[in-house]
Amino acid sequence: MKIEGEYTFDGPRETLWALVRDPDALAACVPGMQKVEKVSATEFTGEIVVRIGPLGGSFSGRVLISDEVPPVSCALTVEGLGKIGFAKGVGRIEMQEAPEGKTLMKYSGEAQIGGKVASVGQRLFDTVSKSMIKQGLDKLNDILKARAA
Amino acid sequence: MQTFQRSVTVNGERFERTVEPRLLLSDFLRHELGLTGTHVGCEHGICGACSVLFDGQPARSCLMFAAQAHEHEIVTVEGLGTIENLHPVQQAFREAHGLQCGFCTPGILTTVTAFLERNPNPDENEIREAISGNLCRCTGYQHIVDAVKLAAKKLQAQE
Amino acid sequence: MDRKYIGKRVVRNEDPRLLTGQAQFVDDVQFPGMLHAAFLRSEYAHARVLKVDVSKAREYPGVVAVFTAEDMGRDWFPGPPLVSPPPTVKDVIFHSRRQVPLVKDKVRHAGEAVAVVIAESRYIAEDAAEQIEVEYEPLEVVLDLEKALAADSPRVHDDLESNLAAQLFQKKGDYEAARKEAEVVIKRRIVIERGAAAAMENRGIVAQWDAKGRHLTVWDTTQAPIPIRNGLAARLGLSESQVRVIAPFIGGGFGPKIMMFYPEEMLIPWVAMKLNRPVKWIEDRRENFYATTQERGQVHDVEIALDRDGRILGIKDDFIHDTGAYDPYGLTIPINTQCHVMGGYDIKNFSSEFRVAFTNRIIATPVRGAGRPQGIFVIERMLDLAARELGMDAAEIRRRNLIQPHAFPYQHEIVDQAFAPLVLDSGNYPAVLDKALEMIGYEKFVKEEQPRLRKEGKYVGIAVAPFIETTGIGPYEGARVTVETSGRVNVATGIGTQGQGHFTSFAQVVAEQIGIKVSDVRVTTGDTSEFHWGTGTFASRGAVVAGNAVHAASSIVRGKILKLASKVLGAPEAELELEDGQVRIADIPQKSVSLGELAALANPLRGAVEPGTEPGLESTAYFGPQYGATAFGTHAMIVETDPETMMVKIRRYVVAEDCGTVLNPLILEGQIHGGVSMGLGNSYYEKLHYDENGQLLNASFADYLLVSSTEMPRIEVGHLETPSPLNELGTKGVGEAGAIPVPALFAQAVQNALHDRDFEILEMPLSPNGLFELLNKETE
Repeated sequence: MKIEGEYTFDGPRETLWALVRDPDALAACVPGMQKVEKVSATEFTGEIVVRIGPLGGSFSGRVLISDEVPPVSCALTVEGLGKIGFAKGVGRIEMQEAPEGKTLMKYSGEAQIGGKVASVGQRLFDTVSKSMIKQGLDKLNDILKARAA
Repeated sequence: MQTFQRSVTVNGERFERTVEPRLLLSDFLRHELGLTGTHVGCEHGICGACSVLFDGQPARSCLMFAAQAHEHEIVTVEGLGTIENLHPVQQAFREAHGLQCGFCTPGILTTVTAFLERNPNPDENEIREAISGNLCRCTGYQHIVDAVKLAAKKLQAQE
Repeated sequence: MDRKYIGKRVVRNEDPRLLTGQAQFVDDVQFPGMLHAAFLRSEYAHARVLKVDVSKAREYPGVVAVFTAEDMGRDWFPGPPLVSPPPTVKDVIFHSRRQVPLVKDKVRHAGEAVAVVIAESRYIAEDAAEQIEVEYEPLEVVLDLEKALAADSPRVHDDLESNLAAQLFQKKGDYEAARKEAEVVIKRRIVIERGAAAAMENRGIVAQWDAKGRHLTVWDTTQAPIPIRNGLAARLGLSESQVRVIAPFIGGGFGPKIMMFYPEEMLIPWVAMKLNRPVKWIEDRRENFYATTQERGQVHDVEIALDRDGRILGIKDDFIHDTGAYDPYGLTIPINTQCHVMGGYDIKNFSSEFRVAFTNRIIATPVRGAGRPQGIFVIERMLDLAARELGMDAAEIRRRNLIQPHAFPYQHEIVDQAFAPLVLDSGNYPAVLDKALEMIGYEKFVKEEQPRLRKEGKYVGIAVAPFIETTGIGPYEGARVTVETSGRVNVATGIGTQGQGHFTSFAQVVAEQIGIKVSDVRVTTGDTSEFHWGTGTFASRGAVVAGNAVHAASSIVRGKILKLASKVLGAPEAELELEDGQVRIADIPQKSVSLGELAALANPLRGAVEPGTEPGLESTAYFGPQYGATAFGTHAMIVETDPETMMVKIRRYVVAEDCGTVLNPLILEGQIHGGVSMGLGNSYYEKLHYDENGQLLNASFADYLLVSSTEMPRIEVGHLETPSPLNELGTKGVGEAGAIPVPALFAQAVQNALHDRDFEILEMPLSPNGLFELLNKETE
């Protein structure tokens, strides 16, 4: 399944770049995120509670960052495993400076799901993931605005 | 685990039971009360095999908790008629061959019984609409539709 | 012959219990102290199992035991082959790989069982199963049938050189020579995808071990209780007489409930013995989607050669069949497909090679139709393309090619699923086609109504599809018929029943011979303690094979009744008649003796039983057909299609069916209605969606759409009866018939409705989305 989109942040690129490395900021912005721990500069682990239609449960997961070109782009590898299935994904984010001190983030990726999440939740997965991304980015933007201010 | 004291009337008989909050109404009827006529086909509210009458209305017992039935009245297929004395709806299903394996039948009988009370003289489209929430893999529904028509006649003749 | 009970619309004996909730299904079996099982199933379609850690599950409160493959020790071994590979066909390749009770080395399809938890309740068992931690190493999955057979494909079974499970070539005449003479040659690729049987009742097993009596009782939702009993006894080191398998009321079978063995069928009885406690496992609906077998996946490369008059000169059909992760069911499905590609047509030249591929999907075993719908879809689609090419009417091209009534028995010259030559025993195919055309008013519709409706802007289409159904194959079934002193008759047979009405149709067969009310005949099916021999309910063979065994046993009992009554009444046998449970002298009806009295006299408490005679009015008889009887039918329908919404409304649906002697028209029509509804699912609604990782994405009834009452049209059924010469009753099977031609018919009707659009339906099942895409491709 493909995930793709873009989002314009109301703040400078450098601040945003730092923000997406900040476990506290990530924990605050990702919906359902219970905790985020920084294992190294390029590895995070965490726990997230997700609801997809009739399914609900927690996933424990890992995010690896690679291919970094600060503060422009990086690649992400995400793995999550929980009682209701598993999810894996690889993606890329790219940040471009935009007029008026804004930053345009472009993201794209491919996700693979298995277990109950796939067999029962598939129909809703697309919508749920889109809405989670939207919520998360909005929240991240709020934090960015607060920090930039 | 926390439990609740619950009382519920099933087929006119009052039962007092202690139930876990997560116990499904369908499992409660089948395994606690031994009323195995109510069948479970999908556990997610689509197939309709587990339909019972909940205060006279058809309801999916697989989508309800037993605890929710507190102080309510339930009728299962066992409450409609007996082998010796079939309910007119049951009799009609027999005469019209409205069942094959019989697994979905209890849910259809309860649904149809309530439907014919609401609409005693339905046409074919109304009947198909009324049973569209009950899946049957054997009959192709035609003999079920015929059975409902026949049941309507039988019930009207009774009045 | 004038028949009193056979052929009548008799209401069913089994209904009162089913209608009042008093019929016992497997999940209704309850015992004090019964334990419940839940399975941990693989989330990956293809993965090596590195580590299974069940320690947390074992400690979970209420859990009694947890088993993995390792814990089974020497009791872990794959299931037996259900249908042995073909011995008689030349150059056949067959690699038998059988399913395992629990995964040991690697997972071969999503949903394969890795561990089983046994607990005090199902709720606890499921909670504990979630505590099991499995470490997998995911492997590349094998899904696409062509790629599966490529040399560089990852392998489902590492010990094989490729994913080729089987290969078989069969021919008749000389296709290449015929092709040279042809005036029209059409070649296409046709893709058929999987669907589910989706019986309303999921599978289930209850096993109870009596340690002191050394006796195992198993309630199983199986279509074949006797083979399950025999196999369990062999597996568990017991005598067959120590095992009783009961297939009580079964909530629909449709094929997948005959599998020897499902992993759960091997495990639950083993666990019950191990723990010495009754154990129950009931499949849930999601499990049913990926632990119960499915069918239909095939890719055909087909070529048809015809002359200018639309006569088929030859067909060449090479196809790949998807057997899934294992192939316990041998070649039944692809051979059925091969045998049905020629349909009921007189085809002199035929060439067909199939290859069977292992893939990372659940095992394929027959689902109502069992390979036949695919074969019929292929030939009927090709005939439609040929008719278009030749500018010929759809009914006419079929009429020109049907086997003629004088040509029976007709040799198709290839072998069928019983590995016997495919011989079509009898029939009058053109008459059945004509009956269907007449019922639907074909001529009038095509000439008058369709042009008028099209002028009004309506996209209406008509279609007609004839088909054969090979049914009633051997090896045999048996029955025991006993007149009891109550005057009632008891019948036992070894097959199982899943709603086909055997309790009634078999009773009618008995009543015909013995002259007793149908309701006074008690039939038992599916209990190995009642009858020791038999195979099972499959291949539309119940009414043919078991029905004729019941008939044979009742005829012998009739003979015994007459002989004894003749003595008692002092009248020659020829002057006696059997009616209403009495034997009477025809001319002096007041001189009579009841069947109950005769039964008592036949089993005296004192006196001498004459040498060479047996006590009682009882007989056990068997029937094994020389080869299978072949039924024939033709479906026709009229549809209206909305090219905007892709909704297809069926305005008329007719079925003309010749399945030989009809035992009970009411039951027969019910079988056809149900078959058609499943066929419509296979046509437009039911497709199992696997993603590229082998994950089934629509494993619920919310996403996998069964046909409901609002999609089903009213079906008009017309009967013709050409009794089969292969058995005394003259019956042919009908259980699968309804489903077989529907996708072919549906595709033809939709094409005909959208007559002004340039597209071809070469896939089944189609879907509203699929149709939309086809039509859009055309406009691109």
